[in-house]
Amino acid sequence: MAIANQTESRSQSVAADQRPLIRRLIAKPEFGPFVLLVIELAVFTAINPDFLSPLNISNTLVFTVELGLIALAMTLLMTAGEFDLSVGAVFGFSPIVMWTLFNQGVVSLPVGFVIAIVIAALIGMVNGLFVTRLKIPSFLVTLGMLLVVRGTALFVTDGFPQRTWNAGEQWIANVLVGDFYVGPFRIYMSLFWFIAAALIFWYILNQTKFGNWIQASGGNPNAARARGVNVNATKLALFMLCSSMAALAGIISSIRTSAANPNSGTGYELEVIAMVVIGGTALMGGRGTIVGTVLGVFILRVMRNGIVMIGVPGLAYNIFIGAIILGMMALHYGLERRHQSGT
Amino acid sequence: MTDLVRMERISKFYGRVQALEDVSFSVRQSEIVGLLGDNGAGKSTLIKVLSGAVPTTSGDIFIRGKKVDIRSTTDAIANGIETIYQDSALVTQLSIARNLFLGREPLIGPKVFNRMDHATMNKVASDLLRRVGITKNIPPTTPIAALSGGERQAVAIARAMHFDSDLIILDEPTNNLGVAETRGVLNFVRGARDSGHSCIFIAHNIHHVFQVVDRIVVLRRGKVVADDIDPKKSSIDEVELIITGMTDEELAGAPVH
Repeated sequence: MAIANQTESRSQSVAADQRPLIRRLIAKPEFGPFVLLVIELAVFTAINPDFLSPLNISNTLVFTVELGLIALAMTLLMTAGEFDLSVGAVFGFSPIVMWTLFNQGVVSLPVGFVIAIVIAALIGMVNGLFVTRLKIPSFLVTLGMLLVVRGTALFVTDGFPQRTWNAGEQWIANVLVGDFYVGPFRIYMSLFWFIAAALIFWYILNQTKFGNWIQASGGNPNAARARGVNVNATKLALFMLCSSMAALAGIISSIRTSAANPNSGTGYELEVIAMVVIGGTALMGGRGTIVGTVLGVFILRVMRNGIVMIGVPGLAYNIFIGAIILGMMALHYGLERRHQSGT
Repeated sequence: MTDLVRMERISKFYGRVQALEDVSFSVRQSEIVGLLGDNGAGKSTLIKVLSGAVPTTSGDIFIRGKKVDIRSTTDAIANGIETIYQDSALVTQLSIARNLFLGREPLIGPKVFNRMDHATMNKVASDLLRRVGITKNIPPTTPIAALSGGERQAVAIARAMHFDSDLIILDEPTNNLGVAETRGVLNFVRGARDSGHSCIFIAHNIHHVFQVVDRIVVLRRGKVVADDIDPKKSSIDEVELIITGMTDEELAGAPVH
C-alpha cells in the first residue's frame, strides 16, 4: 500500500534508533536522574568521605523512604493527570487521629491505625469526587483540602503534639518501623515497605490493565473514555491511594520520632511533587516512571543531607533544589521533544 | 443490500437552536457513505448522535433492523460503531499495542494480578500493522507520538477492524495529511470495506470523498437534501451546488474568504 512507502523512511529512523544501546539508555527519562544521583554521590563523597559512612546512609534512608512512600503514590496520580497538594496535611493529620483515639482509650493502636488510613482514604475520595464530578482542577480542590485537614489537626490538638511514647510496646509499631542491624547499617522496617510499594506500583503502572488506564487517563482522557476506560473511577482510586499512602508515611514517621505533631508534613506536598517530576514523570500526565521517582526521591534527600555534610548552610538547600528542578525540567523537555519526534 | 444502520427522523436541539431536523439516514452493509455539507450543516451533530457523544432530542436508531439505545460512546462501541477522530482517537504517550487494546486489554495469569498479555498484544499489533500496510520495522512498542498523521489514522482503523466494528465513522481523516498519506488512508478505508466493514466518511475535501465512497449524502441546515448521489454518475461541481444550495452563477460569484 501507498502508506508503506512513506512510512519507510520514518520506520528506518525508528529502527536505527533502537540499534545502539547507549542511545536507547540516554533516551529513557530515568537516565538524567540516574546520572545526577551518581554525580551527587561522587561529589559529596569526594568532599566529605563520611558521606558514605554506615551511620549517614542509615540516617538518610530512614527519612527518605517515608517521603518516598508518598512520592510513589503521587507518581501514579500525576501520570493520570492530577496531583494532590493535601498529602502533607494528611501526613500530619493521620497520626493525630490514630494517637488521639488510642490515647483516649477509644480503640487499640492497630484499630486506630486502620481508622486513620480509612479516614485518609475518605479525604482522598472527597478530593477525587470534587475533581471528577464537579470538574474543578485538582490544584484548587487539594489546596482547599490541605487547609481543611491541617486546620482540623490544629483545632483537635490545640496545636500541641500528641503523646506517642508508648508505641514501642505495640506490635504494629514494630511492623511499621521496627529496626535492626545488618552489619554496621541500622535498617528500619519502613525501608521494606518502601521497596514493596515501589515494586507493586511499578508492576501496576507497567504490567497491568489498570496501569494502562492510568496512563491513558492522563494522556488523553477523551480518547480513553471513548474506549470504555472509566477515567473518573481511575482517578478517584488514585486520589484515595495517594491520601492513604500519605497517612501511612505520617504514621510511620510519628512512631519513629515519637511525636505526632499537627504541623508535621508542612511543605511536603511540594517536595514530593518535585521528587516525581525530577524523576521524569510528565507534569501534565500520560507518562510516569516509578524507577525515576525512586531516583528523584534519593536525589532530593541526598542533596539535603549532602549539603549539610559538606558544610553548606542548610538554609541554602532550596537554592540547590530549585536549580535541580529547573535543570531536570529542561532535560526532560528535550527528551520529550525527541520522544515525540520519534528520534 | 440491507441497512446496517438506520437513523429515523432524528432531531437535535442545542437550547433553542435546531441542529438536526427530522433527519433520516442509513448505511448499508459493506458500503462507504460520504457525508457532506457546509459548515453548520449538521454533519458533526449527526455523527455525535450516532457515536453516543450527544443524545438525540427525538428519533430512533436501528442496527440490523433492531432498535438500539445509544447514550454513550461505550454504548456505540458495544453496538459495533467505532468513531475515529483526526486528533483525539489515540493516546500519544502510549505504544501502538497499548492503544490498540486500550479498554479491551487481554490478560494473562490469575485475574487478581490484572496482568496484560504483552506478548499477544505485540504480536496482534504487528500483524495488524502489516495488514494495513505498515510493514517496515515499526515495533508495536513504538509510542503513537512517534508516528505520522497517516500512520496514526492507520492504527485507529486497524483497531476498529480488529475489534470487528461493523461501522467505522471517519471524521475528517485526511485533514492535514500529505498526498501520499492521504492516498494511504483512502486505501485503508477501501480495505475496511473490502473486509466487510461499513464506513461513514466525512471530509471537507470533496475530491477525497469522490475517490473512495459508494454513495454521497448531503446535509444542509440540519436537513438531508440528497441521500443517494452516485459519485460515478455525478460531478464534483454538481455536488458542490447541492451542498451550498446555490445556482452555478451564484456559486461562481460567491465571495472568497
